[in-house]
Amino acid sequence: MKKIGGVIVSHGQLANELLAAAETVIGELTHVTAVSIGWHDDVEAATAEVERSIKQVSTGAGVLVLTDMFGGTPTNISAMFLKENEVEIVTGVNLPMVIKLASHNEEATLGELAIEVESQGKQAIHRTGALLEPQKAK
Amino acid sequence: MPEVNVTVINPLGLHARAAAQLVKLANCFKSSIIIARPDRSTIANGRSILAVLTLSASMGSELVIEVVGEDADLALKAVEDLFKNGFGEI
Repeated sequence: MKKIGGVIVSHGQLANELLAAAETVIGELTHVTAVSIGWHDDVEAATAEVERSIKQVSTGAGVLVLTDMFGGTPTNISAMFLKENEVEIVTGVNLPMVIKLASHNEEATLGELAIEVESQGKQAIHRTGALLEPQKAK
Repeated sequence: MPEVNVTVINPLGLHARAAAQLVKLANCFKSSIIIARPDRSTIANGRSILAVLTLSASMGSELVIEVVGEDADLALKAVEDLFKNGFGEI
């Protein structure tokens, strides 16, 4: 079964560090790579880097791009490569999303994985105080 | 259904890397493994790191492990041992 590739794209070093954190938790991720776009990087160079990274992790099963913020340059650059069944983007990347991408069910299609990762990212945000209240009440 | 109560004894609790170890172990068995709070207020699939983390089990927390499947006894023992060993952290 071909594995869906992953590219994390962010401002600054966020993408590299998210990937490093995910690898610390679950081990080396050969099918996921990171592109950290410097604040003063040339947009053309950054675009070429994103394109190269997508190609690098692509095995034919599609590539899921996780970007830091909708409307930001990393997302806008990545959006140039959006293509149905080949490249999907989910914005607002967090560590649980990277872990989900890394440990996904191998039968999922790119579209299904994108939906799962989006939903996981939202579900994984907890106002921790509220979550712990029932325990405290005991 | 085989089940056992365990206590989290490692100082960091059931944190991300401990959860990853648990999931890795759970994936070695055919049986399905459920980790839950004793009052069942949170129930997690033992094959999902993110689900296991939602148990937010700190040191001293008690949890219930339930296993269903053909190799249930082996799986239960392995998971119980992992908790007893404090995930190799103590």
